[in-house]
This record gives sequence, structure tokens and C-alpha cells, in this order.
Amino acid sequence: MLQIIKIEWLKVKNYRTFWVFIALGVLSILAPNFVIHDVFIKNIPPDAQKLLGQSIYDFPLVWQTVASVSSYTSGIFSLLLITLVTNEFTYKTHRQNIIDGWERSDFVLSKVFWIVSLALLAFLTSLVAVFIFGGIYGKTAFSFENSRYLFFYLLQITVSLSLALLLAMLVKRTGLAIILFLGYVTFLEQLLVSIIKHYFGNIGGLFPLQAGDELLPFPIVEKLVKISGPYDSGVYLAVLVTYIVVIMWLVFRKMLRADL
Amino acid sequence: MSTILSVQNISKRYGAVQALSAVSFDIPAGSVFGILGPNGSGKTTLLGIVTDVLKADGGSFTLMGALPSAVQRRQIGTLLETPNFYHYLSGYRNLQIVANIKQQSESDIPRVLELAGLTARQHSAFKTYSLGMKQRLAIAGAMLGDPQVLILDEPANGLDPVGIAEVRNLIRKLAQSGKTIIMASHLLDEVEKVCTHVAILRRGELLGSGAVNVVLARDNFIEIGSADSKALAQAIQHHPAFVQLLPSGDGVLQVTFNDKVDPATLNNWCAQQGIWLSHLQTSRKSLETAFLELTNN
Repeated sequence: MLQIIKIEWLKVKNYRTFWVFIALGVLSILAPNFVIHDVFIKNIPPDAQKLLGQSIYDFPLVWQTVASVSSYTSGIFSLLLITLVTNEFTYKTHRQNIIDGWERSDFVLSKVFWIVSLALLAFLTSLVAVFIFGGIYGKTAFSFENSRYLFFYLLQITVSLSLALLLAMLVKRTGLAIILFLGYVTFLEQLLVSIIKHYFGNIGGLFPLQAGDELLPFPIVEKLVKISGPYDSGVYLAVLVTYIVVIMWLVFRKMLRADL
Repeated sequence: MSTILSVQNISKRYGAVQALSAVSFDIPAGSVFGILGPNGSGKTTLLGIVTDVLKADGGSFTLMGALPSAVQRRQIGTLLETPNFYHYLSGYRNLQIVANIKQQSESDIPRVLELAGLTARQHSAFKTYSLGMKQRLAIAGAMLGDPQVLILDEPANGLDPVGIAEVRNLIRKLAQSGKTIIMASHLLDEVEKVCTHVAILRRGELLGSGAVNVVLARDNFIEIGSADSKALAQAIQHHPAFVQLLPSGDGVLQVTFNDKVDPATLNNWCAQQGIWLSHLQTSRKSLETAFLELTNN
């Protein structure tokens, strides 16, 4: 596995696009919190804030705030993953890697490595965001209470990255894969969720990204409109883990059997 | 002599097209083995299966006496169809990736770059290379770690005449050093100059395999002619060493014999039959003729 990681590092070390994506991804987790703080804290009159109770950047609420914000913006990491995977198909280096002496499973593992790395990077960046924003904007003492939301986020971004990997493996073309992914993330899944919810009820909330969203409602807004899911957290967690397992199975199956 | 690659009943179908049907042959160690066939005959498909980028529908093969796996592939230098490299990385960095996958030391990179004549451009991005340079980089990649077995699919593709001659010399040098070279080609000239063994494919079927001179039998033949070619044709069939009459025109007969027949003796024999030869010449069938005879039937 170390050998695989070293080789993946050689592939990206001098790849400018990679570093631009990483910088954007990290910024996309940190920057929105500044904006949201501006909108929610500065622009809401103090009287109204009292009504709302705790500030969203006070501990322990800040865990949920950051996790929720991050879950909306970290699609950038999925786009990076799609680029890394479809590059291999475009340059046919996926064939070359096998010819030169990788097992087909090594190739899949090399991409799973990126899922894990990017998910951890997003998770750690969010953790830093919690410390920064909770420390600067929060008025309460540090606490680990509610830190589970950040782990929910880790699971959600892992699902999102896994979906991106599956799509990249199936579509193989960078542009098309990115468009399909964005289409799915921005409206297609929402559409499906609405339709299923309308005809079959709450089960519509168990689509891959929706399940994460219902697990990570934005604080405060949650108090005004009920947006958290009707199921127990355990159900969503089980569903998300199932998605990851099923997607990995599909990706390995595809890679181990197909002509490259 | 041990066997480097043993192919057993390999079949592969793409939709309606049977790319390979039950192909079997062995490649002995130390041979320069040419896989020949017209375009679309299944050469690249076969090499794709051997290198695990394609999955056979049926059959099996062994590499160096073992079931094929990444371990064997790391010991083989392979150049398949087009050069596949990361466009945004330099030639050197691309070879670093190859060296690490092959689990070879990166210290071998300067040697293969020199061998491929790319030392001066090693730090330029791959996308800035000409087609010939890309092909050379692929050859350099295949040579990393000095593998004992090489698989080359149309190695002269995209090279200019000087490059083709260089590659041919390289292959010959490698063969002399005892390496096994498996080479797919449709250029018979190339094969005639370097191969010791061949397998011939046509529309996915193996027409024959073995030593070049056995598979592409090119018996010496003798061209004879006389004023009455019909009488000559009848008479020559009674010659004790006669094998067959080859199709030819212009009133000249091309005859093969099962023994080496001396032209003077043959002339004498014809004279005894009352036929005076006006044309007598020993010849050798060209590889191209032998190949076309085999693949057109």
C-alpha cells in the first residue's frame, strides 16, 4: 500500500490542477463560515439574536454549523477525484499501470486512497474551522459536545467521493463525468427525493446525499423549519455505510472484470 | 529450452467479431518471436490479454511457467500500441512512476533515457514530445530494470526511417544478449530481419507457429522454361525429386524439389527427356509470398 501511495504522490506532486483544487477545497470549507458569520451574526439585530438563543458559532453548536456548511461546499473534492480518475482513462495510463505491474485491484486501491485522503483533508480542515470560528466568534468555552456532527460529515463526504469514483469509472470522460456529477448533486437527486417522498414517503430521504443532509441540518434554521430527517441518526449512518460498501463493490467488480 | 509464454486455447469475442478463436502456442526462452498477421487479425488483442488489460472469454496462459500475475508483468518490458504517459509530467517523472510500479531502482532511468536518445529532453513535459519521442519514451520505459522478456507491439510505429533502423538494431542487440522478445508486427521486412520464431494469425485464427523457416516454408525453387512449356510441365513431374509446380506466368515454370537439385544435373536430366531448357534459375520464395500464400488461403 505504501508503494501505491508513493506512486500516487508522484502522479500529483507536479500537477498544478491538483494543487489548485486542493487550495479551492480548503478555502471552500473555511471561507463560507466568514460569510455566514457576517450574515447571521452581524446582520441580525441583537434582540433577534436573543430570541434565537445560542449563537451558531458558540460551542457546542459550532460543530454542527461547520459540519453543515462544509457538507454543502466540499463537492470540490469530488470534482478533483473525478479529474484524477478520468485523467487515467484519458491518458490510458490505467492500462499502462497494469501493464507495468500493478494488479487491477491496486489501481482501484490507488483511487480509494484518494477518497480516504480527501475525506480526511476535508474533515481536518473542518476541525480547524471549528477551532478558528468557535474560538474567535464563539462566546462559550470549548466543548466536545456535538462533535459527532463532524464525524457525520466525514461519512457524508466519503459517500460523495465514492459516488464520484463510481461515476468516473463508468463514464471515463472528464467533462461528461463532471457535468453528470454536478447535475446529480445540484438538482437530479433533489428531484428524485421529492418524487419518492411524494409517492412513497420518508424513504425518499435515504438517497446518498440527502441522507447526509438530513443527518446534518443547519442549526437555527432547523428550529424555524423542520429540515432534519424523520429517521433516527442510526438509520442514516447505516444507510451511508451501506452506500459506501455497495459502491466499492461495484467499482472493484467493474475494474476486475472489464477490458481496459 | 524453457517456455516464456504458453498460450492455451485463448478466445476472445467483441460482439459479433471473433477476435481470437482457440489460439494456442508456446514461446521458447531466448527467441525473437514475431506475432504476424494483417491488420485486425488479433495480434494486439492477444498481447492485451497476456498483459491483463483485456480479459479472455476462454482459455488460459502461463508466463514464465507460472499463472500470470503482476509479479510476472513487472519482469517484462512492454510496449503496447500507443505510448501511455501522464501528459503534464516530464519524461523523467513519467519514468519514475514506471520504475516504482515495476519496483525497480530509479537509478536505472538515466541509462534508459540515454538508450532512447531522450537525455536532452528528459525534463520537458510529455505533451511537448513529437510522436517519435513519445514512442522512444515508451521504449525507454519498457527497458527499465533491464527485463529478460520484452513484449513489443509494432515497436517501429511512428518512428522515422532512422528511428526504425535504430529500433531494429536495438532489438537485434537485445536478442543477442539472450533476451526473449515477443513482437507483433505487420511489417514482414522487420520480421525477416529479426525474428527467429513466428505465429501467424488471420481473423483470430492461428495459421501456424514455430521457427520462421518452418512456418513460412520457403523452399528453394527452380525456374525453368522451354519452347514447349506444356511438354516441360508434364515431363518435370516425372523427375525423381519433384514436389510441386508453383503457380507462375510467362511460360516459365517454378518447381520445388524435395532434395537440393543441382541446376547442371537438372539441365542434363531435361536434355535426356528431349527437352532443351531456354531458362534455368534457382530462386527463393520471398517471405511476403510465403506469408500471402498462408494468409490468403
